[in-house]
Amino acid sequence: MLRVALKMLLGDKSKYLSLVFGLGFAVLLISQQGAIFLGLMLRATGPLQNVSQPDLWVTDPYVKWISETRNLSDADLNRVRSVSGVAWAEPFFNVRATCELANGNFRTVNIVGISAVTLVGQPPEITVGRLEDLRVADAVFIEESARSKLNDPQIGDELKLNDRRGVVVGFCRAKSGFDSPALIYTTYENAINFVPLGRNTLSYVLVGVKPEIDILDVQQRINQLPDLAAFTPKEMQWKTVGFIMRETGIGINFGITVLLGFIVGLVVSASIFYQFTIENMRNFAVFKAMGARAPTLIGMVLLQAVVVGLIGFGIGIGATGLFTLAGRKPGVELAAYFPWQLMIGAFVAMLICVMAGSLLSLQRVLRLEPAVVFK
Amino acid sequence: MNIPASAHLAVKLENVSKTFGKGDNAVPALRGVSMEIAPGRLVMLVGPSGCGKTTLVSVMSGVLNADDGLVEVFGHRWRDVSSDRRSRLRGELVGFVFQQFNLISTLTAAENVAVPLFIRGENRDVAMKLAFEALDNVGLKHRGNARPSQLSGGMQQRVAIARALVGNPALLVCDEPTAYLDARTGQLVMDLIHAASRSTDAAGRQRCVVVVTHDARIFHYADDIKEMEDGRLKTEVSHFVAEEAKWIPNYEDPNAKPTK
Repeated sequence: MLRVALKMLLGDKSKYLSLVFGLGFAVLLISQQGAIFLGLMLRATGPLQNVSQPDLWVTDPYVKWISETRNLSDADLNRVRSVSGVAWAEPFFNVRATCELANGNFRTVNIVGISAVTLVGQPPEITVGRLEDLRVADAVFIEESARSKLNDPQIGDELKLNDRRGVVVGFCRAKSGFDSPALIYTTYENAINFVPLGRNTLSYVLVGVKPEIDILDVQQRINQLPDLAAFTPKEMQWKTVGFIMRETGIGINFGITVLLGFIVGLVVSASIFYQFTIENMRNFAVFKAMGARAPTLIGMVLLQAVVVGLIGFGIGIGATGLFTLAGRKPGVELAAYFPWQLMIGAFVAMLICVMAGSLLSLQRVLRLEPAVVFK
Repeated sequence: MNIPASAHLAVKLENVSKTFGKGDNAVPALRGVSMEIAPGRLVMLVGPSGCGKTTLVSVMSGVLNADDGLVEVFGHRWRDVSSDRRSRLRGELVGFVFQQFNLISTLTAAENVAVPLFIRGENRDVAMKLAFEALDNVGLKHRGNARPSQLSGGMQQRVAIARALVGNPALLVCDEPTAYLDARTGQLVMDLIHAASRSTDAAGRQRCVVVVTHDARIFHYADDIKEMEDGRLKTEVSHFVAEEAKWIPNYEDPNAKPTK
């Protein structure tokens, strides 16, 4: 009878297509909007992902997220270095500047200044040039995706950063932040030259903890210092995500879209599936009259629901996959991150949609009097 | 299937009542109907619309519960079996032919015929082989792969008869089987139903056929005619029905007089 159930489903092409595309659209909305949301969250924590060496990020206790800091002084750097259990502590500079372009335009860039001595905080991948060349006065590395934004500079070209001269010595690949600024790497010393900030010039102090020492102990010790707070990379990451969620409205906006997708899926699939069952009620009555028992009928309805659900899910997830792949092309600013957990979430949402539809249908089918076949 | 010792009657109804609705809206459909039908008989239930014919066959075939009274088909009392057992028993004992054919539009004719066998859990290949044999018996083997929409009304009803008989039921219940058919096609269909009443079921019992109809042209096929009125069986059929049943129309020659 399962084969009969499938033929009943696939034979009614208009209902079948409405069902699978309704569900597919719902899954697309849920998974694609979810992927963009996760992509934005991931992008927001990009500067954290670029820096893998430190165990702790030390900054002002009131810092809300990675890209917004109240700067520290060199004295603070020395205070951190004096804390027991600290193996090393290096300055990290992360401040906006204006880059004048040859065509008269300008671009806001993010100057990332790293320790000239240890190069802690360096970009994850060097594509052109040698990182050591950063130690030359005014030297900068440009992140690959920023090249087009800065009129495609070449090695040896000069940039005007906050009206000061910068020389391109290489290119690198790194993750940009939430608002995708053009990233420019240089040394801490060069950075404070590009962006003079007065007495307090440090965005963060990056800290490595001695191997045998518990990171949390060191964190506690740093937190006892006045006006300083230490965060593990994980804490900094959640701080950033929490800020984006709370302060930008992105969480609620994407949440609404995902919820809408779910509601559309639920309403469309449940109502069409229910309608499909109602239109087949006479056939179900005939089956009942001919001796079909409840398990057979339940199996038929559930199979129909699962088939449209899986096909709809495939369509939706496939479309989301295409979106995500398109977002990976160079120059495309689509932030989409599509982990398997999101796929599971969309699958569960789809299951809820089709189960709601099939439960509504089943209670009608099971209550159906076979005597209606004579009407 | 076990055949109860008391199965000498095909159908036995004793004081069967059925009322639809409650209180002021209650509509009595059957009022203490009693009836016995022997195996091998083709019985027609006639009467005006709303007199309870369809309710009676619904109760008789076990698709509707009677409020009161005893309903026994080949020794099986519907009220004594669980809902699950009743479904199974109905699938084995009863075949149905409906006024509106009730074929599934997305299945082929042969698949439609095989549905009762699928419900019983029969292997698909075996079921389809038996379905084509059943279609052969109604002269439609060559249309086995056609969809119902590709068949005429008469063909669809013959497919429905094949479906009703493919499981070899002991009781065949037909509700207005010729209502949507022209006279000539109706006769073809009734020939098949009449032939079914002269054959035996899977257990070797003589099959019993009950036909609900308004169609006076087919009265002459009946071994027995029961007339209903206001939810009761009349003790004697009316003069009109008795007279109509005597005449056999001649469809070969529309100008010829009917013969007795």
